[in-house]
Amino acid sequence: MIYRAAFPLLGVLATITLWEALSVLNAGSFVIAGPVDVALWLRANASLVGHASAATLSAAFWGFVWGNLAAGAIAILVIVLPRTERFISFAALVIFCLPIVATGPILRVLYGTGTGPQITLAALAVYYTTYLALVVGLRAVPTGWTDLVHLYGRGPLTILRVVRARACAPYLLAGLQIAAPAAVLGAMVGEFTGAERGLGVLTLRAMAGLDVVATWSIAVVAATVSILAYLGIGALSRLRGEGPPVLILSTGSPGARDPFLRRMVEAIGITLLLLLIWQVAMDAFGLSQFFAKRPGDVLTYLGDPVARNTLLGALWETLIWTVPGYAAGLVLGAGLAAALTLLPGTAGLIMPLAVMFRSVPIITTAPLLVLALGRGATGTITIVAIMIFFPSFVACLHGLAQTPGQVRDVFASYGASRLRLLVSAQIPAMLPAFFASARMAVPAALLAVTTTEWLATGRGIGALMALTSSTSDYNMLWSAVVAVALVAVAAYLLVERAERWILSSYAAEQLA
Amino acid sequence: MHNNDMATHDIIASGLSKSFGGASPVDALAPVDITFHAGQTTALVGPSGCGKSTLLRLIAGLETPTKGTVMIGDETPRDLAHRGGIGMAFQDASLLPWRSVHGNIALALQLARQPFDAAAIDDLIALVGLEGFADARPAALSGGMRQRAAIARCLVTSPELILLDEPFGAVDELTRARLGSELPPLWRARGTTAILVTHSIAEAVTLSDRVIVLSPRPASVIADIAVEGRTTADIENGMDAVSRTLAAAA
Repeated sequence: MIYRAAFPLLGVLATITLWEALSVLNAGSFVIAGPVDVALWLRANASLVGHASAATLSAAFWGFVWGNLAAGAIAILVIVLPRTERFISFAALVIFCLPIVATGPILRVLYGTGTGPQITLAALAVYYTTYLALVVGLRAVPTGWTDLVHLYGRGPLTILRVVRARACAPYLLAGLQIAAPAAVLGAMVGEFTGAERGLGVLTLRAMAGLDVVATWSIAVVAATVSILAYLGIGALSRLRGEGPPVLILSTGSPGARDPFLRRMVEAIGITLLLLLIWQVAMDAFGLSQFFAKRPGDVLTYLGDPVARNTLLGALWETLIWTVPGYAAGLVLGAGLAAALTLLPGTAGLIMPLAVMFRSVPIITTAPLLVLALGRGATGTITIVAIMIFFPSFVACLHGLAQTPGQVRDVFASYGASRLRLLVSAQIPAMLPAFFASARMAVPAALLAVTTTEWLATGRGIGALMALTSSTSDYNMLWSAVVAVALVAVAAYLLVERAERWILSSYAAEQLA
Repeated sequence: MHNNDMATHDIIASGLSKSFGGASPVDALAPVDITFHAGQTTALVGPSGCGKSTLLRLIAGLETPTKGTVMIGDETPRDLAHRGGIGMAFQDASLLPWRSVHGNIALALQLARQPFDAAAIDDLIALVGLEGFADARPAALSGGMRQRAAIARCLVTSPELILLDEPFGAVDELTRARLGSELPPLWRARGTTAILVTHSIAEAVTLSDRVIVLSPRPASVIADIAVEGRTTADIENGMDAVSRTLAAAA
């Protein structure tokens, strides 16, 4: 037990040692700054970093608050009025899929100076995971509990107040835990768009000055802040005696069992409704047509073959590196999780480290990896893969552990090997968790790749969005937003389709 | 709240049936006509999946009948439910894990909009033999203790009608026998009408004044057996009669 408790600490120490060794070996390559250099830099710049961290944390905090309040409001709406779910879930997904690399600059124009964009992006980065966690949690109520309330002639609002609100607490905390690092990421992207202070501003400055030590130091601070936010909420949930956070499996889209054609018609209907809301919202707030483009503007603009080809070319450039990174991250995550179950004991030890690394925002690691691996395919694919790897690894380890004890006993009673148990029982039990992470990994992969392109590689649709926002080519910027969101939503629905198809034979109970 | 002169209304199910599913519905309950007499305890027995629980849920107002009605006097089950007139104990106790025994029992008063009555709750806790466990969470209780807490919860609103859906299903045989002898007097003494669903012929006969035997799905009444008294001979005669009917139906 002591060994187990000490392991994360030992892991951190080992990581730091390895990091220092690598930096010494690569001295003079201007790629890695070691922990000693980082510590010295941080001591020299303590006040600067302190103020920047305070600014970022403040924006992240308010984004966290607003984003989670919004998530709570729409989750409650969905539970009380189930008919709204299809629209709300789809709209929430579409908004979550908007590339923050482009929405950031647009928000900057809307808000002007100040902390508005940071807070809004932080809110946008957190609300979806909290929403999903809340919907799953609010529904995770045995029928006996709802029957009890109905038995006394009380309705859905009483069930919400007396039963669901309390029953969803562990799910909410699990969702908030994932949301906390995401808020830091959102705030930093907001700062990239032209804030006065914050860790994002320092990152940009360090990268522009090719200051490797500063880049690493700020990355370490941002990563530490995110990990602490993650661990802090984890500690809060243990304090409440909720036990370890529940793995949030899918809810999947409602109505996913309906015939394909019907779902398509419905998706088109909901899309048209969203476009209408987009148009009406822009008009209602009287936003300038110059930077606040309407659906019609994008359609007209993309009617021009030159613009269309530029957009599609950039999108293609992005996707050919995203797909391999996405696939590699998922396969490595699931593969390593499966391999670790063959070595009993190791999974429980590596889990805390993996959980910690999962909460390191991509913003902080992307510049470092590009420094190390270059601006080509290797760097980008690696970043996407790493971004996908940790969540899918953690989810798959949870999933593998879900194999019922009695099933294990049956295998043991026949003297089956560990490998046989893994292939025939544990991997099928892992599939729901695997697919839940595969689905959530779609927007994450696009976020990782567009951020990397924007910050570092200068190619693909991420760079196109960065370029057009700096040249005020808002037609192209909005078109890119629409294109990325469409690709993300389509890929998400495609993964969900595959999930339904495979789970229907391996885990039918998950599709209830 | 301990009034012994309950409104004495029979529960009358007329032409009551239930089917589930849209395009190709499954009949859970064929049309049945049953009168449950006020103040009596009636057991429903029948093969697994025959629709006993569906019938109970229809009487509780938790399901809407496909056809037919359930009336208690001039009230529907939902009218009765709305004023806290129905208590129900579920197969899995369905206690809220974050509330204590006391809190779970108090919940029924809260839901039924009845005034909080700590003394009455304590009396019931003592009555079901859970003294000293008022502040315990369900996770700290055995299966039998949870069922007793659930029964206390179902009695706290002084309902006219209590519905017991295999309340001792998750309890070991010894506890089951003890609960079976200890608990029915609690509601009999109050003149409460009780309807019990069970798999166990012994339990049905021991606990009730009358046993209704249902056929395999869709359920219909195939026998209606009165248990004449509480002597061992009465119980044995009752069990013989129920067993013979079930064997003949199978």
